[in-house]
Amino acid sequence: MRWLAILSLAILAILPFFVPQSVVYLLGLTFIFVVYVISWDLIAGYAGQINLGHTVFIGIGAYTTALLQNPERLGIILPHLPIWLTIILGGLMAVAFGFAIGAICLRLKGYYLALVTAILPLICIQLLNVYSDVFGGYEGFSVGFGKALASSLIGKYYISLAFMLLCIIATVYVIKSPLGIKLKAIREDEELAEAVGIDVVKYKLMAFCLSAFFAGLAGAMMVHYRITVGPDLFDVPLMLTIILSAVIGGLGTIYGPIVGAFMIYLAKNYVFARIVQELSLNVSDEIFLYILLILIILKSPEGIFEKVRRMLA
Amino acid sequence: MLEILIYGIIIGSIWALVSSGFSLVFGVARILNFAHGTFFVLGAYCAILLYPYLGFFSIVPAVILIGAFGWLVYRGLISPVKGYEVMVILITLALALLVEEILLAIFKDISKSFPSLVSGLVTIAGVPVPTNRLLILGIAVVVIVCLDIFIRRTKVGKFIMATSQDMEASMLVGIDVEWVYSITMAISAMLASLAGILYAQIYAVNPATAFRVLIYAFAIVILGGLGSVRGSIVASFIIGFIQVAISMLFEPRWAEIAALATIIFILIVRPKGLFGVE
Amino acid sequence: MRRFGILLLIALLLLGCAGEKPVEEKATPEKKAENVIKIGVIGPMDTKYGTAMANAVKLAAEEINDQGGILGKKIEVVVGNTKLDQNTATSEFRRLVVDEGCKVIIGGFSSGVALSMMDTMADLASSGHKVIWLGDASSPRLTDKVAQDYEHYKYYFRPLVLNASTFPLDMVEMLDFLKSQGLNIKKVAIIRDNALWTDDVMKVFKPLLEEHGYEIVMDEKAEKGQTDFSSFLIKAQEKADVIVPILAHVRGDSLVKQWADMKIKIPIAGHDLAAIDPDFWKATDGKCFGEIYTADGGGVPSPINEKMEHFLNAYKAKFGHLPEAYSAYGCYDAVYLYKAAVEMAAKAGEKDPFDPDVLVKYLEKFDREHPFEGVRGKIAFTKNHDLVWGDGFVRNWICQWQEGKQVVLYPNYMATGKLVLPDWIEQS
Repeated sequence: MRWLAILSLAILAILPFFVPQSVVYLLGLTFIFVVYVISWDLIAGYAGQINLGHTVFIGIGAYTTALLQNPERLGIILPHLPIWLTIILGGLMAVAFGFAIGAICLRLKGYYLALVTAILPLICIQLLNVYSDVFGGYEGFSVGFGKALASSLIGKYYISLAFMLLCIIATVYVIKSPLGIKLKAIREDEELAEAVGIDVVKYKLMAFCLSAFFAGLAGAMMVHYRITVGPDLFDVPLMLTIILSAVIGGLGTIYGPIVGAFMIYLAKNYVFARIVQELSLNVSDEIFLYILLILIILKSPEGIFEKVRRMLA
Repeated sequence: MLEILIYGIIIGSIWALVSSGFSLVFGVARILNFAHGTFFVLGAYCAILLYPYLGFFSIVPAVILIGAFGWLVYRGLISPVKGYEVMVILITLALALLVEEILLAIFKDISKSFPSLVSGLVTIAGVPVPTNRLLILGIAVVVIVCLDIFIRRTKVGKFIMATSQDMEASMLVGIDVEWVYSITMAISAMLASLAGILYAQIYAVNPATAFRVLIYAFAIVILGGLGSVRGSIVASFIIGFIQVAISMLFEPRWAEIAALATIIFILIVRPKGLFGVE
Repeated sequence: MRRFGILLLIALLLLGCAGEKPVEEKATPEKKAENVIKIGVIGPMDTKYGTAMANAVKLAAEEINDQGGILGKKIEVVVGNTKLDQNTATSEFRRLVVDEGCKVIIGGFSSGVALSMMDTMADLASSGHKVIWLGDASSPRLTDKVAQDYEHYKYYFRPLVLNASTFPLDMVEMLDFLKSQGLNIKKVAIIRDNALWTDDVMKVFKPLLEEHGYEIVMDEKAEKGQTDFSSFLIKAQEKADVIVPILAHVRGDSLVKQWADMKIKIPIAGHDLAAIDPDFWKATDGKCFGEIYTADGGGVPSPINEKMEHFLNAYKAKFGHLPEAYSAYGCYDAVYLYKAAVEMAAKAGEKDPFDPDVLVKYLEKFDREHPFEGVRGKIAFTKNHDLVWGDGFVRNWICQWQEGKQVVLYPNYMATGKLVLPDWIEQS
């Protein structure tokens, strides 16, 4: 296990010197995507809450940093803030929303929770459109050339790699902590957990906020990686890609979702995109993603919880 | 004011067609079908495609085709995962997006409309209303009355009612529940596709319409109480009025937000909806 | 554990092939680079605007290749789809430049998206991937960037469309023209895209309207994909004398259909890109009868000069129909413009006439005094790499749909017909 992780890390560390620039760029994006997936897995795989609105946190983190870097859009004057500061503020803003959403929604049970959270990103997208003079509407906006994570591509790559590693380590730490153990207990049997004195709502809410924090950070990182922000960060296709990655890797297994995220993101943006180009099909590469998702759900409909249980058994 | 009333009733009658099917499927089979808007759009595209060959009769094969598609979707995709609610949401969501991408590839990002069935203008209490919109109101009312009669009077309808009230008991008395679910899904798809054609006749559809319609359908069934067909018909007109009122007083783009906010608000405050009895 | 191992293996394999293939690919274009020049077309390929761009560039490339290419190099056209989404657009832009090795990009559409692509262009240029971009999208903010930070943004030129700040000039002229035809116009109801470019149009349009004695009574924004305009039409009929659409992303098809169905008593006259499509009559079932619109960049299929005539015929011969959208004209011009600039650079003895840094200088030479003759008229750049607007140069004409035909009403020297209004419109 350990040597596998070290080996893959070593490969990733030297890779930029052997592959073309476009692949380096794509890998950098993938690292950030990995954080989307593990942060969703924290709430879905460990706390057992199906949150279909995870992209809300990603988007809020993204727009927070983008707007703080372009305060004239908000109609306010701010001193020039360093990028790392606004990225962290993006994460904190996501936590604030996570707390509010969690406090209201976590009372709802499975079905209703899924429904409410599925609707939230759509509201956000609508608001982006209505206040288009601030948020740039469906066209999004550019945070500005020169506000990238680093001026060189290699720099961006390593920052993004380091960010992923930090987030993975933090997540592992959380999972191994007493909080993580209590979350697992809640996931396995909520009533029993409550009976033995675990404050279910509190711990679920904590998990929700943590998940939101990492997602918000990742969303903000994404903005400064690609220097643009737009409603795609809120949108349903991104949510489905995250879910697909986590489900393929195996929910609640830390490393599973990471591997799943690499597979799906590279498959989507590299293999599928290439198939579409080579065959000059006039379709979006997302079509393959949806077909894959449908097939996977059909193949193992017992879905998320059972799968985890079987793997743990 | 009168304009809001008249135009609200007309758009409400389209929503009634959409939401009654949506609600029926949920009430009978406990399926939350995120691909319901897809039936709506597919119905419209199908009728538009067949129009050059069949004229206005293209509505009939289009509705039947989408009904068959609804049946297939149930058998092929939903039935295998039915025990897992979240999986049903995910698979229908994936289907909706898949169909949207396919439509985009075939028809491009262009709004298409179905030719007006009738032309002309009627003045009702001083408000000029195009005849093709009034016709829609008529069609919708007739179809919904027929649906009611079908469910209450026919054998198949009684099976559907029985299954929705007690699935296990229905199985015990020998009703093929799977068959009932499929037929319900087909009816729901047919209603949605008819609504889509009527909608395309006044306005237009594009691949992205599916999601807009889905949002309204959700708002309506949640307002009316999940699973209550009558509740959702009443709620359709309420949402129709709200939509037109907001469009008239502010701008149409606020109407969608209002619909979305309605969903969240009701789910959190009163999850069984206005008329829900559960 | 085993499962995890297998997954990791697959992931590494994927990484492996991700790493391997482009290296191979990268080697090929360099070998081929001797005799091939790649032109990238970027646009919303899910719409007519995008396909028209790609078709027009392909047509021009084919013609040029038949005559021996550009300085002996054959043109190869690569297409990228923006999907009207900044994320897809910027990654496609990157792909065209980095993976495909395009030396010039033609296209764009949607100012908000184009602004993001412009930063990507500057970002790429600073890491050694320079590219000339002959762009679309009309917001003045694009060319403002050239003025503000010339060093980074100088690779952007906009030969495809006029600056949005010139549209109001045409639109006010249109309203004045309608007034001169006996229509009583004072109050204006505007419906426009909820997008960046219309904000820029409004900035100029508002004061200009006031100056000419008009009053804006409604200014409503339409969402992309919106198809229901009834409430807008009812309100406009109550309050205004004319409906002025400023639409590109939202298609005007359903607006005119509902306008005709509801027999709205005031005319539609504005900047509706969809109305420029030659099949608009068919698409709206003839309901567009009487719609008055400005033809963006003069891109209406009427043979104003030999080049236009040739282009229309060639397009029809190759694709079986007239150019499906306005964008075809500008893109066709852009390829020839690029060729002319490269040849001028070669003539001047430049070592690498395809080098974007070199080409900027030569493209800038097409100014008001030394214009390039395109299908839409003379193409000349201002200091900010914007198109020169005016008679003889590219400008908007005022057109109208009448009985299945697009008729030019104004300017008079171009006019092919007279104003006709549908019978339900009240004329005073």
